[in-house]
Amino acid sequence: MKLVGIAGSVADKSYNRLLLKYIAREFKDVVDLDVLDINDVPLFNQSDDQTDSPAVQAISNKILAADGVIIATPEHNHTITASLKSLIEWLSFNIHPMSGKPVMIVGASYYDQGSSRAQLNLRQILESPGVDAIVMPGNEFLLANVKTVFDENDNLKDDRTVSFLKETLGKFTKFVKVINKMNEKEDPGWQSEDLESHGKVETTVEGVDMHAADWVEKAAEKTNAAEGDDYVKLDRGLLTVNQLNYFLNSMPIELTYADANNQFIYYNHFLEAKDMLAARTPGQAGNPMADCHPKRAIPHVQQVIHMLRTGQTDMFRLPVPGMGPDKYVMHYYKAMHDAKGEYKGINELVLDIMPIVQYYLKHTGQMLVKDPDADTDAVSGASTNTKPEKTDAVSGASADTEPEKPAEPEKPDEVSGASANS
Amino acid sequence: MHKFVAIVGTNSDNSTNRKLLQFMQKHFADQATIELVEIKGLPMFNKPEDKQIPAQAQAMAKQIDQADGVIISTPEYDHSAPAALMNALEWLSYYVNPFADKPVMITGASYGSLGTSRAQEHLRQILDSPELRARIMPSSEFFLGHSLQAFDDDGNLVDQTKLAKLEGLFADFQTFVDITKQLNHANAANKQEIHDIDWANR
Ligand SMILES: Cc1cc2nc3c(=O)[nH]c(=O)nc-3n(C[C@H](O)[C@H](O)[C@H](O)COP(=O)(O)O)c2cc1C
Ligand SMILES: Cc1cc2nc3c(=O)[nH]c(=O)nc-3n(C[C@H](O)[C@H](O)[C@H](O)COP(=O)(O)O)c2cc1C
Repeated sequence: MKLVGIAGSVADKSYNRLLLKYIAREFKDVVDLDVLDINDVPLFNQSDDQTDSPAVQAISNKILAADGVIIATPEHNHTITASLKSLIEWLSFNIHPMSGKPVMIVGASYYDQGSSRAQLNLRQILESPGVDAIVMPGNEFLLANVKTVFDENDNLKDDRTVSFLKETLGKFTKFVKVINKMNEKEDPGWQSEDLESHGKVETTVEGVDMHAADWVEKAAEKTNAAEGDDYVKLDRGLLTVNQLNYFLNSMPIELTYADANNQFIYYNHFLEAKDMLAARTPGQAGNPMADCHPKRAIPHVQQVIHMLRTGQTDMFRLPVPGMGPDKYVMHYYKAMHDAKGEYKGINELVLDIMPIVQYYLKHTGQMLVKDPDADTDAVSGASTNTKPEKTDAVSGASADTEPEKPAEPEKPDEVSGASANS
Repeated sequence: MHKFVAIVGTNSDNSTNRKLLQFMQKHFADQATIELVEIKGLPMFNKPEDKQIPAQAQAMAKQIDQADGVIISTPEYDHSAPAALMNALEWLSYYVNPFADKPVMITGASYGSLGTSRAQEHLRQILDSPELRARIMPSSEFFLGHSLQAFDDDGNLVDQTKLAKLEGLFADFQTFVDITKQLNHANAANKQEIHDIDWANR
């Protein structure tokens, strides 16, 4: 479970930050807690919108991508600190990343009250409509007299406190699951995947025929695309378009980019179709995915895309036999996401893993033997008596595909094996 | 004539709370001197170990010290007082104590219909904390809802009922200031107690 931790303090030394770091260390088996820094967040000003500042954006993106948030609040003047309030104001002004997020409040202060009033205030603030967070009710973790409760290794000294914290955190992990379940959008089902690409995403080039053989040229013109020696800034580096092409075309892997609108917009074109493991032709780039698949393969393609889009699986593996005993061709479909975790399409990687296996065996002095217990013959790849299948789930430039059995969406990891038993 | 400091509870350039205070300054000019004070420009409170507060906060503390009372007009952000105002109050409670026993009148303006009811509640709670210990005028509320439409081109309050209420509250505040001056027996002790609070981190 991925959580972010926010300590409401910009002081050089903060016990609330110490507390979150302690939780991250002590309970790392329970939660993956990323403790964020709020030091660079500017003081909120309604007439000077700095929503786009790197500090606000970084925090917002991490919150969006997290399952839940833990806030550790100091108490100043019976309320939360201005630095914490300021952050919350940015997160409720033009963006609302806390909306629907499960939140647990903890707090540490120097005196007996241990931030009790600040916590109550924070609860009220987080539940206001502009913030719209969902705060776990009932539990209060208050760390009073905080100057005396940590030992020299910054661990909590008192066992009862630790076990109460553990219990509270345990409850919170359940709370997070329940709330996120509640927040789940109704899944429209795999049938909703539109392989004709009628929709559009931010990057869709409008007004150019997707089916046209010269889609790349037309779309490049329309978007004033960088080319040749133009520089492109990347994460992490700087290349010209030419360098990017040298780089991608020298990959010993056939790469295909299908965007979130199910449009096939790129492949690394270093081989002619006849020499490829999964054939593609230059004219296909830009096509809606339906164009490159035989009709009967479409439901299967829809299912795979939907699993990737909805996060049921992050990577879908598909062995595609039928190229003889010397090859073992794998298709990998990897979901791509932006920094906020939003689905951005599929990276399809096609490669023959046989040379890798052979290399490994040769250099480690080993050989392949049959596993007598194996219940699949997929391992050897020498399944000569099963019908050759060129099931190409997404790219599918395979006119001779056998009708595919629909994959079992709830068992994503086993689906790959399902191709061997038509 | 009483001398009041009026704190604009926001750092925003075009604030209806500032407008309200400017209106009060003009409207009550024959009854009191009202000096507007801005909180914009204060750095984020970070509990500096050297216990020093910025010059701007020092100047504010001095102004408040010398005033008979303070008027604070607060917007409402997320059902509470703005961070900018909370920030100013943090500085003004850090090894200084200008608010101790100081009479305070709270007003507020917001775009919606409720006129900062929850932010004022929050502000009262803050001002009442032991390190601020202000004397907030009790049982009085001035909510200016729909504040973007509340003033005419000359900056006057349009709604006559609201105006009558504001005049009444202001007269009460003048009296409250006088009464509070007599509630001064614990003043020295209060200031000493605040002085003894040690928030610094060692
Ligand atoms: C201006 C100021 C006001 C404070 N007011 C309170 C308070 O009302 N109640 C309280 O328990 N602690 C108060 N404290 C002390 C806090 O307990 C302490 O600064 C903070 O909560 C510790 O958290 P940190 O180490 O994460 O910054 C105050 C501190 C400062 C600097
Ligand atoms: C981050 C943010 C949160 C706000 N939350 C509230 C709110 O909880 N209740 C409300 O009445 N108005 C809310 N508002 C609108 C305010 O009424 C308005 O911005 C402010 O009070 C006007 O004060 P000013 O004219 O002095 O700047 C919010 C505005 C911002 C920017």
